[in-house]
Amino acid sequence: MLLILILSVPVFAAGASFFARRRTTMEAANVIGFGALFLLAVALGARVLAEGTVSLANGFFYADALSALVILLAASVAVVCSCYAIGYLRDDQQSGGLGDRFSHSQQLAQLRMYYTLTPLLVFSMIFMAMANNLGVMWAAMEATTLTSIFLVTFYGKVTSLEAAWKYAILGGVGLSMALFGTVVAYYAGHSLPGSESLSGLNWSVLVQHAAQLDKTSMRLAFVLVLLGYGTKAGLAPMHTWKPDAYSEAPVPSTAILSTALLNCALYCLIRFYILTSRCLGPEYPGRLLLLFGLLSMGIAVPFVLVQKNFRRLLAYSTIDHSGIMVIALGLGGAMGSLGLMLHMTFHSIAKSLLFLSAGNVYQYFRTDRFAKINGSVMAAMPLTGVVLFMAMLAIIGMPPFGLFQSEFLILRAAFSGEHILTGVLFVLFSTGVFTGVLLLLVGMILGPAQDTPVAPRRPWRDGSLLALAVALVTVGFWIPAPLLALIRGAAQVVSGQ
Amino acid sequence: MQLGDRIVTLMAALVLVLQIAMVAQRWISIHIRIFAAQSFFLAAIAATIAWFNHAPHIFVAAVLTIVVKVILVPVIFERLIERMKIHEEIEPLLNVPISLVISGGLTLVGYVIAESFYRPEEPGLGHNALAVAISLFLIGFFNMINRRKALTQVLALLSLENGLFLAAISLTYGMPLIVELGVFFDVLVAAMVLGILIYRIRETFASMDVSRLRKLRG
Repeated sequence: MLLILILSVPVFAAGASFFARRRTTMEAANVIGFGALFLLAVALGARVLAEGTVSLANGFFYADALSALVILLAASVAVVCSCYAIGYLRDDQQSGGLGDRFSHSQQLAQLRMYYTLTPLLVFSMIFMAMANNLGVMWAAMEATTLTSIFLVTFYGKVTSLEAAWKYAILGGVGLSMALFGTVVAYYAGHSLPGSESLSGLNWSVLVQHAAQLDKTSMRLAFVLVLLGYGTKAGLAPMHTWKPDAYSEAPVPSTAILSTALLNCALYCLIRFYILTSRCLGPEYPGRLLLLFGLLSMGIAVPFVLVQKNFRRLLAYSTIDHSGIMVIALGLGGAMGSLGLMLHMTFHSIAKSLLFLSAGNVYQYFRTDRFAKINGSVMAAMPLTGVVLFMAMLAIIGMPPFGLFQSEFLILRAAFSGEHILTGVLFVLFSTGVFTGVLLLLVGMILGPAQDTPVAPRRPWRDGSLLALAVALVTVGFWIPAPLLALIRGAAQVVSGQ
Repeated sequence: MQLGDRIVTLMAALVLVLQIAMVAQRWISIHIRIFAAQSFFLAAIAATIAWFNHAPHIFVAAVLTIVVKVILVPVIFERLIERMKIHEEIEPLLNVPISLVISGGLTLVGYVIAESFYRPEEPGLGHNALAVAISLFLIGFFNMINRRKALTQVLALLSLENGLFLAAISLTYGMPLIVELGVFFDVLVAAMVLGILIYRIRETFASMDVSRLRKLRG
């Protein structure tokens, strides 16, 4: 029942926005829908903690602690972004950001597209996290690409079409590889009893018989799935769509793509990692994951150091962090898995805060080049400046923020697991990204005072930023006990201990 | 069983020939028809396997292939090129003879990969079909890289997806029905979404040459 409610709320929100005639109705449908979704996600977390797993319709829907955590993070990001989007899109509409030549009804149609597609995107992510069948999980993942393409082209500019094309084609190729991997995994389990039926591809069934799966096929399946879902997670060298799509989509959509959708892609990888490591032992998938993770971290460094555009800088930082999370998964074990889940939680909060506050800067200065802003953020918009500074410190892993703890834990897992080279490269690449992000963003935020007029107050946007900032500081010092239990539960699902 | 195996092998060969014909083809409208024909033979393979293995759910997949890939997707794309009034030639990056040689090489690679799945003790229809499926997948990849026009890239992506479908039915006699439904729904929506995107690229750039999309760098 709870699962059905969670799935139906975003569909209702999308329907209400689609048929709404006024902007305020669409805004209300989104905020109320995501607010309700957030409460339901908390309820799901509580039930998973109490009962272990929740399933529905003969195990077609299945939620354990890992799914509940991914759903909770997606719902939290979505509710904050829906509040932020109200202020952001109203500003766009007034200042002609939606296109000056458009009439009122055309602008309304554009807003309707945003407010309809966003709940559908969230719906596909949640459906994916609940699907037990690996094929259904794949179909939901493809649906996230299809629903987000037109969010990338929202502004209809030449560059947004280019970004959307890259996103669609790379996403399409990547997901077809993931589907091939899913087919091969199905073949790997075809000698099991009952594999002909619908449940033959169910994760909960396959994981119980993981040791009997065909080993050669699982090897091939994992490589294909890693390449496929790795494209969606933006692992190098399949990351090239990411900076383009993130710098062209409206800021609230970017925040959802870079946190919730990244978590979803990693979620798919994690499910296959669990199957493969139980079938072949953790070394084989672990080595591949470490390779791709280190490559992503390494590729991010030069692009961060020479970046001229701050939204692309943040996109490369997301590539770096997806590399970190994949490394944590590759290290595995109790410590690596806990580090991964903590990192996923902290990264979702910090990165969405970073994108949203950078969006404030972008919208006020009408540019995303460092050179044109030149340090006047703090003078013009003090609140945004402070929050942006804080989020930046968090994302580069400075204490006291949570990402310091999770990265430290991952590093400890690397050194205690005798992955010395991985640990050393991890430190090296992190330092590179640290330097680049720190120098560039500090130069943008704190600079010689210029005569930029002070920005007016923006209740919707500033309110969302403050709420996220409070959450970021809080989880740095104190994680609520039930949330920590959920994170530990998710880590146990991964490590199996 | 023997007869079924022969029919499947014949059809699979036709599918492969059509895939290579797509590599050599220069006109967009014929390209769409080749894709439709290829999907039709694919549906025929699915129907044959369903008949000889008494697996009714593969019939559903065959019917869905006909509806989505033989009728709906080609109709959508034909309308698209009519609205955009394009009849121009496809310009591949490599010329046709070199592309054909590469496709031949990829077919060979497909057969080598398929060998590792071959189990002589398990009688099945799928040995040749799997090799063809992997070749379709690889040639589809090559075709995507080799083409500059947006619509032909999408057709290459869809033919790559055809390879996946063939792999699924030859390896495991199809995925569970609900998965097939999801996949077909996604293919249909993807074709429409990409069609709209191509239309907008064409309107903005007065061309659908994706090699002109190179403003975003670094």
